[in-house]
Amino acid sequence: MKGIVFTEFLDLVEHKFGLEMVDTIISQSELESEGIYTAVGTYKFSEMLQLLKNLSTNTNISIDDLLLVYAEHFFSVLKESYPDLMSMYKDPIDMLASIENHIHVEVRKIYPDAELPTFVVEEKTNNSLIMVYKSNRAMHHFGLGLMNKTFEHFNSTASIVLEKIKEDGTEVKFIINKN
Amino acid sequence: MSQDNIDILQRALKREKSARKAAEKILEEKSLELYNTAQKLKEANEKLELLLEEKTSQLQGVFENINDAYLIMDLEGNALKMNDAAIDLFGYDINKEKLNVIDLIYKPDANYAFKSFRELRKKGAFTDYTARIITKDKSIKWVHINASVIYDKKKLPIAAQGIIRDITEAKRTASLIEDQKRKLAKSNDELQEYAHIVSHDLKSPLRSINALVSWIKEDNEGKLDAASLQNFTLIETTLEKMEQLISDVLNYSSIGSEEKEKINVDLEIVVKDLAKILYVPGHVSINILGPLPKVKGYKTKLQQLFQNLISNAIKFIDKDKGCIDIEYKVLKNYYQFSVKDNGMGIDKQYHKKIFKIFHTLNESKNSTGIGLSIVKKIVDLHDGEIWLESEPKVGTTFFFTLKK
Repeated sequence: MKGIVFTEFLDLVEHKFGLEMVDTIISQSELESEGIYTAVGTYKFSEMLQLLKNLSTNTNISIDDLLLVYAEHFFSVLKESYPDLMSMYKDPIDMLASIENHIHVEVRKIYPDAELPTFVVEEKTNNSLIMVYKSNRAMHHFGLGLMNKTFEHFNSTASIVLEKIKEDGTEVKFIINKN
Repeated sequence: MSQDNIDILQRALKREKSARKAAEKILEEKSLELYNTAQKLKEANEKLELLLEEKTSQLQGVFENINDAYLIMDLEGNALKMNDAAIDLFGYDINKEKLNVIDLIYKPDANYAFKSFRELRKKGAFTDYTARIITKDKSIKWVHINASVIYDKKKLPIAAQGIIRDITEAKRTASLIEDQKRKLAKSNDELQEYAHIVSHDLKSPLRSINALVSWIKEDNEGKLDAASLQNFTLIETTLEKMEQLISDVLNYSSIGSEEKEKINVDLEIVVKDLAKILYVPGHVSINILGPLPKVKGYKTKLQQLFQNLISNAIKFIDKDKGCIDIEYKVLKNYYQFSVKDNGMGIDKQYHKKIFKIFHTLNESKNSTGIGLSIVKKIVDLHDGEIWLESEPKVGTTFFFTLKK
């Protein structure tokens, strides 16, 4: 998993819960990296899982909700770092529909070894989109958070329904309807 | 600040420092990697440029050095590029004036030209286009053209190129040769006819002399002494020989005429029949070793060929028991025959001469010196060769080949 996901995560934890919480979840986890992360490095996904689990235990917030909040924070990071990419889109549905064919292509230019989820578009109209998320990381709520923020970015809202195709969350259908 | 808080801060600081160092290391490695990649790309690029330069210079060399005219035109026929040879041939210089290849077409060949042009568009090339063109100074030239379409990266036709050879001179030479051949054939025919007529005309005074001699002999029976009678006999022999000579000349001049088509000739039958017709003295035996093949040729000529060689062999046998062996072997494109005798043999110095007309080594009443010339002529007629091996006093073998 790319280092930027860890550094931004720990920044958010520090911002929301303080440096002590950062210190706590790092010391509670068994980390090969010893909690030393840089945006340009690459680390094991299991480290993120441990950090999330320990944060969830210490705060009594579900992992899904943590991911949702984290995704919303991460969207602003992306917006700041890649304004050109954002400005290419005029519509949230168009932008979400092009994750696979455009945004992930751009990601691979910077991080050739990134392990990305797939988003397959099943149906698309001007105001609705049905996509299937597939990833063995089961981070569908991270996706949901990014989607929420995408609509917000374009000054609109949407109702997004998640249907788990697989119980473990590695395959999830997103049914998006613009309001 | 509590000790706990200080510890937390210190740990955080330590992580940050380590992270910075790790990041710096990663970035350094990335830079090096990038530098190396850039270096490799640069090298590859230089190599490619060199290769391109080389190819361009090669092409330029071909363009300038070929002896034939070379022309590139667009799909409408407008000349885009031409070498010096093309400028010389057409008389137009596209650096100074426009040229469309349609201007070069010689009217009577226009249909053929447009048909070939369509073929070029359709199939991408044509070869061996041969027609006339009209040059700037209105002279007409024969050209041979191979052309092909030039395509761009997307396989779309963008132009066409052609190599044009001036064959005006070759055409003229060919027609000259054709003319000469016709003239030669005609004069050959005339010569043959002439020989024929002369031979006939020569024979009739001979017959008159012969008749006169026999009348004189009859009229003066009992009055002539032995010496005169001897002389009369000599006159008759000489007349006979003269007659034979004329017949042979007639024969020789008629080879190459008469039979028009070559047919399959079974030489086994030809030679067996010959052995029956020919006068073969009792002490001479003719042995045909193995059945002879069938060849494509002129039957009566092949018969004459064997007849002359066999009678030649019989004539020169000086042994008590004469032996003539006829055999053949198969070569790649030819059959090689041999006629071997155990006669008096021929000295090496005469091996070439004997095939020339009127050349005889032995003054005898049966020998006119034409027989082997006829043999040679017949072998030539069948695209073969003739030669001999001989040892004086032991015997002679004539070899000849006939095309399969």
